[in-house]
Amino acid sequence: MPRYAMVIDQRRCVGCMACVAACKTENNVPLGSFRTRVVEVVGGEFPNLRMELRSELCNHCENPPCAYNCPTGASYKESDGTVQIKRYKCVGCKACIAACPYEARYIDDKGVADKCSFCEHRIKQGKEPACVATCLGGSRIFGDLDDPNSPVSKILSEVGSSVLLKEAGTNPKVFYIRKLSKLE
Amino acid sequence: MEITITGANELTYPTLHIWNWMVSLYLFLGGVTAGLLIMSAIGNLRARNLRTEEKIDVIKAAMFAPFVLMAGMFFIWLDLERKLNSYWFFLSFSFTSPMSWGGWGLGLILPLSMLYALSVVPEEYRHWLKFDFLKNLSRWLNPHMTALARTVFALGIFLGIYTGILLSVFVARPLWNSSLLPVLFLTSALSTGAALIIIISKKKAAQLFFTKVDIWLISAEIIIIALFFLGHLTSTAPQRESVMPFFSYSHEYFVFGLSFILIAFFFPLALVMKLMHVQEEHHEQISGGSLFRMKLSAYMVLAGGFIIRLAWVYVGQISKLS
Amino acid sequence: MGVTRRDFIKIAGAAVASSGMGACQLTPAALAAQAGSGPAETYVATNCEMCHWCCGLIAKVVDGKVVKLDGNPLHPNSRGKLCARGNSGIGLLYDPDRVKTPLIRTGSRGDGKYKKASWDEALNYVAEKMLSIKKVYGPEAMALFAVGSCSAHLAPLMAAFGSQNFGKPSFAQCRGARDVGYELTYGIIPGAPERVDLAKSKVTVLFGSHLGENVHNSQVQDFAAGIGAQAKLIVIDPRYSTAAGKAAYWLPIKPGTDMALMLAWINIIIKHELYDKEYVEQYTTGFEELKAAVADCTPEWAARETDLPVKQIIETVMEVARYRPNVCIHPGRHASWYGNDVQRSRCLAILTAILGSWGREGGLYLPTKASLKKSQGKEDFPIPEKKPIMDICGYPFASMAGLTNGSTTGLRDATITGKPYPIKGWMVMGTNILKAMPNEKETMDAINNLDLLVTAEVMPLDTAMVSDVILPSASYLEQFDDIGVERGYHLGVTMGRAAVQPLYESKDGYTIARELAKKLGLADYFPWESLEAKIKSQCKLWKIDYDELSKKGFMEMEGTEAPYITAENQPVFKTPSGKIELYSKRLEKAGFDPIPKYTPVEQPKEDYFRLIYGRSPVHSFTRTTNNPLLHDLFKENEVWISAKKAKALGVKHGQYVTLVNQDGVKSNRVKAKVTQRIREDCVYMVHGFSSSSKDLRNAYRKGADDQGLITRYAVDPICGATGMRVNFVKVVKEV
Ligand SMILES: Nc1nc2c(c(=O)[nH]1)N[C@H]1C(S)=C(S)[C@@H](COP(=O)(O)OP(=O)(O)OC[C@H]3O[C@@H](n4cnc5c(=O)[nH]c(N)nc54)[C@H](O)[C@@H]3O)O[C@H]1N2
Ligand SMILES: Nc1nc2c(c(=O)[nH]1)N[C@H]1C(S)=C(S)[C@@H](COP(=O)(O)OP(=O)(O)OC[C@H]3O[C@@H](n4cnc5c(=O)[nH]c(N)nc54)[C@H](O)[C@@H]3O)O[C@H]1N2
Ligand code: SF4
Ligand code: SF4
Ligand code: SF4
Ligand code: SF4
Ligand code: SF4
Ligand SMILES: [Mo]
Repeated sequence: MPRYAMVIDQRRCVGCMACVAACKTENNVPLGSFRTRVVEVVGGEFPNLRMELRSELCNHCENPPCAYNCPTGASYKESDGTVQIKRYKCVGCKACIAACPYEARYIDDKGVADKCSFCEHRIKQGKEPACVATCLGGSRIFGDLDDPNSPVSKILSEVGSSVLLKEAGTNPKVFYIRKLSKLE
Repeated sequence: MEITITGANELTYPTLHIWNWMVSLYLFLGGVTAGLLIMSAIGNLRARNLRTEEKIDVIKAAMFAPFVLMAGMFFIWLDLERKLNSYWFFLSFSFTSPMSWGGWGLGLILPLSMLYALSVVPEEYRHWLKFDFLKNLSRWLNPHMTALARTVFALGIFLGIYTGILLSVFVARPLWNSSLLPVLFLTSALSTGAALIIIISKKKAAQLFFTKVDIWLISAEIIIIALFFLGHLTSTAPQRESVMPFFSYSHEYFVFGLSFILIAFFFPLALVMKLMHVQEEHHEQISGGSLFRMKLSAYMVLAGGFIIRLAWVYVGQISKLS
Repeated sequence: MGVTRRDFIKIAGAAVASSGMGACQLTPAALAAQAGSGPAETYVATNCEMCHWCCGLIAKVVDGKVVKLDGNPLHPNSRGKLCARGNSGIGLLYDPDRVKTPLIRTGSRGDGKYKKASWDEALNYVAEKMLSIKKVYGPEAMALFAVGSCSAHLAPLMAAFGSQNFGKPSFAQCRGARDVGYELTYGIIPGAPERVDLAKSKVTVLFGSHLGENVHNSQVQDFAAGIGAQAKLIVIDPRYSTAAGKAAYWLPIKPGTDMALMLAWINIIIKHELYDKEYVEQYTTGFEELKAAVADCTPEWAARETDLPVKQIIETVMEVARYRPNVCIHPGRHASWYGNDVQRSRCLAILTAILGSWGREGGLYLPTKASLKKSQGKEDFPIPEKKPIMDICGYPFASMAGLTNGSTTGLRDATITGKPYPIKGWMVMGTNILKAMPNEKETMDAINNLDLLVTAEVMPLDTAMVSDVILPSASYLEQFDDIGVERGYHLGVTMGRAAVQPLYESKDGYTIARELAKKLGLADYFPWESLEAKIKSQCKLWKIDYDELSKKGFMEMEGTEAPYITAENQPVFKTPSGKIELYSKRLEKAGFDPIPKYTPVEQPKEDYFRLIYGRSPVHSFTRTTNNPLLHDLFKENEVWISAKKAKALGVKHGQYVTLVNQDGVKSNRVKAKVTQRIREDCVYMVHGFSSSSKDLRNAYRKGADDQGLITRYAVDPICGATGMRVNFVKVVKEV
């Protein structure tokens, strides 16, 4: 069984927002809701500034509090390591939304909890997730952690990475390669 | 830091706002039910051998409980986005989900509290029950009242704690993520239950008894709230931040500041009034003013309990880990 | 009206699914749900026209509805990817506010009152007016403003009619001055797509050019690839752009002083003999004159002009020189800044030349030498009696070799003044001239002088809403895209198929041109009954397999690339001298500086800020502001103001303010973005917002319109392009 993961190489993100737009149409996400976003953080004082561009999505946590808190088992961990939703079981109680420290979830137009699926339907067809396929910066990298030759395993073995809100104990499977721009 | 987000979810940005007053009301009514069940169970167990006349208040309290609970359940059901899928609560059980426990718990408590209510109806009042099968059932249950009261006592404690655990398990929401929250909600549940009995009761003895109980509970509640804030203020940054809306009287957080003031005002005042009441009660006939104070303080406890649920539900959604 | 209140509610009602959240939740599929149904899933190759980059795309069509767009992996401009706007093309196709039927104005101009008309009625109206203008004033009194794929059909129509008065804001208000500057220097333009070898450059220099926010798909891909390969980035911008956020050096230059920095760099490079001697020797003329001319442009002088530290000026140019020739001095795209833009572009061209990076890896690569010529059809257009305005409007290089799009403001002036001859009819397609050209009042003055303003439009945008006739246009997803030759890295052929049939009563550009031609008696020029038929016959001529091309969308001619200079692959400079003209005799002869000279631009007075503008990565000018999917990502623009200045003015982040320019023109209210990211002497906003069209539910009066505040413009004397960063605004708190 694969263990899918994503690497966000922040060095290469150029803030084009193609990922956000592609995800929306690929997954028919309602207006006002998003499965992924890009956070731009600027620190410092003029003219000594630095910028971080960080695209965020569901982390497909190894310890997913969303699934733990789901009363019906609608949110669950799939055998490929992704966290998915059985739509027919969802009662729309929103416990999973409250439980997710990454604000990754929303309620869709049918009242069902939803979030990034790692484009489950595409990866089953051997395609990359939509956001990865369209990422102009080549900043989003997808693959199987258990396959040492997958693009994610390769880059993770070469460069140091971190995860978001490590202290939440969720054990995310979205890894960030950070490097803030440095001014000389 | 200048932060710009493209693609922020309306539902979670700038702050989470998935739950509103309906959830607060559910938590409140759930708490009141818990309080009613516990108080009336104690009352009915203690007053087992008294005349109906003398224990009529705890009987009424027991009969109130299922209705209050149903009202609460109605509001949580209203909050569900997929109401027609609700049956899945009972086609699955998730050990790690308090809501699943809650679903099953409510599924158990509601019928048991009904049976308990029927079991406490005394012979002379059975004609209240409209249908014959209810009368028969009540008659049949009456001998089992003690067992039922003990059961609902335990379930009441479960319910009171559960309303707090429901929120406290969310690591993602630092305001809620505290083991004191279930204790606070349980205490509040007991005190609001007692307060409701004071309000519905016509018996001086009962009022006096529950007022005395309430004095202890409110004192405990004030201490727990103080400890709660102390705990958060001395904890990690997100936890410290999470209670700030209560102390910041800025434009956007004004209502939360106000709720804090109300809580900080209602409980001590209710406490003082109750103490006065208890003192007076020892040497005088009950006066009009005293009666008014007694009822008012009970209403204040109820209002305070509801404000706590409101404030915690809303402020908790503002709090975040990062 | 195009979209009545009733339609609005009907469409909104159909598209909005109710939910307990109370929020109005529209999904992309719900947007598409209006269209009819057809056969199951198909994939159609065509080209994106959400901006001018023309990426190849593959439309996924399910049950007659376009549900997803992906980049065409075969197409060099997209390489399998689309930008945010390209990804959101469905939002245009299914925008409920589209122009749905032909409309003829019934009220007074601008009040938005139109009656629905049949195509026949509308085209008869247009043809009659055109013929009566021709009769009274001559055919030259008709002018065409057309941008995008559809302009390819209207230009021959207009030429056949007898007028060659064409204007393109995407040229005169965009890259025109740059292209003239490079044409004067190299005899060839840097290309569109620009032939910047960003993926391989070791140092990339961006003057303005806010790549990342400016999202020209493949260029941004290369830019990111360069960053990934550790290219050093030097960004010169008064604002901390996204690109600046990636840069090793950010030079927050005083706006309008870029040429001082460029000249100082040239001076330092020459003085310290850091230039590519062999290259300069072999390929350029006028080096000695250049050396002498820039000798006083010291870093100290430049530091005073540009408000940058001397140390930074020297350090950055040293980096550039160190890595030459694998450095890319980006030629820029939107060049109409200050009215001295040809000369500033010349500076960039000269820098590139002395670093030897034209035709070198990591610099600017050379275009393919292969070509596909022979075209078809009737091309014997009548020769106009009166010369095109751009040839006689007083800007000697307005129509430089191959640059036939001239001066838009020249046409406008002629329309206002009647000189050198009157212009009485405008046909507009694919451009929103009211918002694209500076000084909206002058544009309106000209429009008020017209006997006919006809606009073919997809969306009821500003220009359409002041037109006499509005013709509903098919969007790019509903029409064929003409066969085209791409001469970039490779030689390639491109075309596009309609993904779905035109919605409502809209028609594709070719059909509109052809039907109008019929009414004008010019049917001979449009012998093919459809664009598809035309493409098929062109394929025959070129011996290309139509079926293969229409399936692939793009076919690359293998082995046609010749990007870098080698002994065999020598660059061709189509200048009079056959060399790179550092010193331009052509300019000298026309009375201009043969080597660029620095002239300071006016700086803002106290209490005023210079108004500068740029792009949002998720919008294209005005055209996307109503797109539901893109509106969802960026609803209104903000005015960026330095935190220091904001504090002094008492303006808080997120607060609404208005801007008032030097001529007293007030903007719509706009949110203040209080930030460290901008100099104190300027404010910045994204172009294209605050539409005046009430028919746009998302775009109507959202944010502020930079163009409204651009009442002054500096015309480049060399080519007639308009510099638009010469306006000053006060920031006023909303009360
Ligand atoms: N997403 C998106 N991308 C687009 C477009 C779009 O509509 N949307 N349009 C495309 C088109 S047609 C064009 S022409 C390009 C335009 O994009 P560019 O060619 O990149 O435009 P510029 O005007 O060079 O760059 C704007 C930047 O210049 C800075 N600037 C302002 N004044 C000065 C100055 O005096 N000196 C310097 N050094 N910098 C200054 C501004 O702060 C801003 O960051 O974008 C293209 N890309
Ligand atoms: N103030 C200011 N002015 C500027 C600029 C700026 O940054 N600031 N930028 C300048 C630059 S660089 C450029 S390139 C120009 C761009 O100027 P324009 O090319 O005019 O750009 P848009 O505003 O997008 O207007 C395009 C119009 O064409 C319509 N349209 C789109 N697709 C089609 C189609 O398929 N068929 C038909 N019939 N119509 C279609 C759209 O609805 C819209 O009304 O603006 C220039 N003007
Ligand atoms: S990121 Fe949130 S939604 Fe995704 S698995 Fe983790 S907790 Fe669940
Ligand atoms: S909203 Fe749906 S998925 Fe989320 S916890 Fe409730 S039932 Fe589970
Ligand atoms: S993986 Fe798919 S669902 Fe997840 S953010 Fe990317 S496009 Fe959206
Ligand atoms: S598509 Fe890639 S480069 Fe663009 S914003 Fe998203 S992550 Fe960044
Ligand atoms: S750059 Fe984006 S909007 Fe422009 S043509 Fe390409 S995909 Fe379309
Ligand atoms: Mo442009």
